[in-house]
Amino acid sequence: MPLKILVTAKRVEDSESKIRANPAGTGIVLEGLKYKMNPFDEIGVEEALRLVAKHGGEVVVASIGSKDCHEQLRQALAMGATRAIWVNHAGPIDQLGVAGCLMKICEREKPNLAILGKQSIDDDQNQVGQYLAEWLGWSQATFASKEESLDSDAEKSKTPALKLTADGAWVTVVREVDGGLETLECKLPAVVTTDLRLNQPRFSKLPDIMKAKTKPLEELTPAALGVDVTPQLTVTSMKAPPARKAGIKVPDVAALVDKLKNEAKAI
Amino acid sequence: MAITSTSPSFMSQLCFGTIEEDLLLPYPSMGEAEQETMRGVISSLESLLKPKEKDFREWDAKGELPPAFIEELKGMGLFSLVIPEAFGGMGLSATAYSRTLQEIAKYDASVAVTVGAHSSIGMRGLLLFGTDEQKQRWLPKLATGEMIAAFCLTEPGAGSDAASIKSTAVRDGNDWLLTGNKLWITNGGIADFFTVFAKTGGQADRGNITAFVVTKDLPGVSIGPHEDKMGIRASSTTTVHFDNVRVPAANVLGEVGKGFKVAMKILNSGRGGLGGGAVGGMKKIIALATKQAKERVQFGKPIADFGLIKQKLGHMVVDCYATESAVNVLNHFVDAGHQDYAVEAAITKVFGSEALWRTVDEGLQIAAGNGFMREFPYERTLRDARINRIYEGTNDILRLFIALTAMNEVGSQLKELGDSLKGLFDNPIKGFGVLSDYARRRASLVTTYVKRDKATFTKLHPALSKQQVVFEELTRDLATAVDRVLRKHGKNIIGKQFASRRLADIMIELFVLACTLSRVSTAVANKGAAQVTKELEIAEVLTGRVRRRVRRHMSMIDDNDDELIKSLADHALDAERYSWDNV
Repeated sequence: MPLKILVTAKRVEDSESKIRANPAGTGIVLEGLKYKMNPFDEIGVEEALRLVAKHGGEVVVASIGSKDCHEQLRQALAMGATRAIWVNHAGPIDQLGVAGCLMKICEREKPNLAILGKQSIDDDQNQVGQYLAEWLGWSQATFASKEESLDSDAEKSKTPALKLTADGAWVTVVREVDGGLETLECKLPAVVTTDLRLNQPRFSKLPDIMKAKTKPLEELTPAALGVDVTPQLTVTSMKAPPARKAGIKVPDVAALVDKLKNEAKAI
Repeated sequence: MAITSTSPSFMSQLCFGTIEEDLLLPYPSMGEAEQETMRGVISSLESLLKPKEKDFREWDAKGELPPAFIEELKGMGLFSLVIPEAFGGMGLSATAYSRTLQEIAKYDASVAVTVGAHSSIGMRGLLLFGTDEQKQRWLPKLATGEMIAAFCLTEPGAGSDAASIKSTAVRDGNDWLLTGNKLWITNGGIADFFTVFAKTGGQADRGNITAFVVTKDLPGVSIGPHEDKMGIRASSTTTVHFDNVRVPAANVLGEVGKGFKVAMKILNSGRGGLGGGAVGGMKKIIALATKQAKERVQFGKPIADFGLIKQKLGHMVVDCYATESAVNVLNHFVDAGHQDYAVEAAITKVFGSEALWRTVDEGLQIAAGNGFMREFPYERTLRDARINRIYEGTNDILRLFIALTAMNEVGSQLKELGDSLKGLFDNPIKGFGVLSDYARRRASLVTTYVKRDKATFTKLHPALSKQQVVFEELTRDLATAVDRVLRKHGKNIIGKQFASRRLADIMIELFVLACTLSRVSTAVANKGAAQVTKELEIAEVLTGRVRRRVRRHMSMIDDNDDELIKSLADHALDAERYSWDNV
C-alpha cells in the first residue's frame, strides 16, 4: 500500500547565528540572522523519504509562516518531497495555532503518517505533535529514535527506522526514554515526532535544488483552513541569561570540599 | 539605459575622462528566485564540505583528492553548474556560478580549483564556440561528471606567450594528427575531456592556432604524474601528452586558425569565477582571524583590543568588500550580454588575487605562531592563494594588457588626429571636424570651463558626494595621464612597461572604487544611510586609499627612478648574483 506522509519544515534561526534579546525585551534581534529548517523537521523529512523509497507513496511537506519559509519548503522538495503546502501567516503564532493548522491539513490530506520534529530549536516547546495526535484522535509516538547507531550499516543503506507491519496497518517506533529505549506499536494513522538519533538527513544535490523550483507549492491561509491562530500565549519579557561569573582556583581538595559544602551548598 | 552587446568598455571610456555610469548603476543584485536557489546551494555545500575540514588538511598533505570524494562532487552536481538545463546542467548565471565557487573556496581551494577548472575554462570553449552537435555530444556527460574537463594551452616553452606553442595539428583526410606536450594542466589526472590548442599552419605561422576537443579515449593521449605543488596541492595538476593523436575534424572548436581568440575568450570569461574564489578565501580568513583575535589574550587583554590588529582587520574588510563589488559588477556584465569587458575582467583578477594575498597574509600575521602551524588553516590558505597571481594570465602580463587595451581607443583617436592633420589640406572640412572634436575633449581635461559629456556621476547617492568628487578628479587625472603618456611614447608605449604598469595600477584602483561606490550608493538608496553606516565607512576608507595611491602613481609618471632600476637589474643580470657581499 503506497504511503502518504505529511512532514513539517519550520523556518528557525540558525543556531550558529548570534542570538540576542532586543533592548525592549520583546523578542530577539532579527538583523543579520541566518535561518534554516528546524533540524528535527529535517530528520522527519529524511525518515519520510526513506519510508516512501521502501514502500512507495508521496511525501507532502507543510510550513506555516511568511513567504520566507518557501526556502525551507523548497529545501524539503529538493531533498525529495513530492509537493508543498504553505500556510501563509506572517504574524505571531503559538503551538495551538500550529497544531490547529496541521490538524486541518491532515483532515484534508488524510496521510497515513504525520512525522514532525519533536520540537523546534527556536522556542523548544515540544507540544505540537502531542496536540495534533490528541485532536485528530490518532495514535502517537514521540522522540522516535532507533537501536542502531548513526554509523551502522542500516543507517548507511538509508533503511527507515520506523517499521511498518506487513499489512501496513501498524508502525513500530523505537523511542528514547530516560535510561533506555522503548518500543511502541502504533495503529495508523499516527503522529510520530523525531529525536536527534533517528537518522542522518541527506543534503540536496544541486540539480535537485533546481528541480524543486518547479514542484507544486500550494498556498493556504489559516482563515481558509478555518483556524483561528490568535496566540493564547504572549511573551511578556525576553532577556539574555546573566553572564557567568568568572571561576576561581582553589588551592587544594580540602578547600574545594569546604567551598562546595559551605558556599555553594552543593554537598 | 540597460547594458547591451554594444555597450562600451567602462575603462576604455574612463581613459577619455568619460564616466559611463549606466554600466555600474544601479548596482546589480540577484533576483529573488535566484537568491532563494543560491541559499539552497549554499546550505547544501555547507553540509557537504564543512564536516571535511580535517580531510582537506590531510588531502593537502597527501597532494590528492581521493577518487571517492571526486565521486561525491559529481553526485552533488558540482560539475553541472554552468551547463544549460537543456543539456542536464544547472544553467547558473555567471553571478550565481561565481557565488558558488566563492562558497566552495571558503572550505577548500583545491576543491574550488577542481570544480572551477572544469567549468570556467575546461569546457568553456565548448559552451562558447561549440556547435549544437558538439554540445549534444559532450555537455550531458560533462554535466554529470562522467567526463571532467581540462584546458590545455600552456607548454614548457609557452606560458604567458601563448602564441608560441609548439603543439601542432596536421590535416590528414577527415582528421587532424595532433602532437605536442602540455604542462601544468589543472584536472589533468582526472579529466576525460581536453580543450587543446595547437598550431595548424606549421611552426613558422605564429598566429595560426586551432582549438580541438580531445577525449582521453583517443589513442596517443597520455597523462604525466601528479605535480608536487606549493598550494592547491590536492587538485590534480599534470602534464598531458599527445602523440600523433588522430582527432576527427568534427572536434574542432570554432574556426580553424582562430584558436588564439578562442583561448583568450575562454580565459576572459573564466575570470569571474576566479574572483569569486578569491572572495571566498577572504571571507574564510576574516572569520578565522576575528575569532582568533578575540580569543588570544596577551598583556592581559584580547589582541583584538590592540590598534595594530584592528588596522589589519579593517583593511581586510575593505579589501574583501571592494573585491566582491568588482566581481559582482563583472559577472553582471557577463549576464547582461556585455561583450567588451576584457579589461574589467583582467582588473578583477589582478585586484582580487592581490587582495586575497594581502588578506591571507595579514590574517596569518594576526594568528602569528598559530598561523605558521599546519594544525591551523592559515598557512594552507596562504599557499593556496599564491597561485591566483600566477595562473590564468600572470598579474604582470595582465597589467600590461589592462593598460594597453584600455588606452587603445584613445590611441586610435590620436592616430586619427595625426592622419587627419596630414590630410588637412586635402579635405579641410573633414579634418577640422576631427580636430575640433578631439580638441574639445583635450581642452576639457585641462580646464573645467569646457563642459564634457559624462564627466561626472549623476546617479550616485548624495551621501557619497565627497567620494564622488574624488573619483571625478581622479578620472580627469587618468585621462590626462593617458593622453600625456601616449603623446610622449606613441607606438613605443608597448615597450614602456614601467609607464604602462603605472597607468594599469591607476585603472585598477579606479575601476574597483567605481564598483564599490556603486554598491554603497545602491545600498544607501535601498536601505537608508542609517542602515549602512559601515558600508559608508568602507567607501570613505577605500576612496582615501585610492586617492593616495593614484596620486602617487601620477607623480611618478615623470618623477621616477625607472632607468636606475633597470640599470641595477641589468647589473644583477650580468653578474647573476648580488655583488656586494661584505666578507
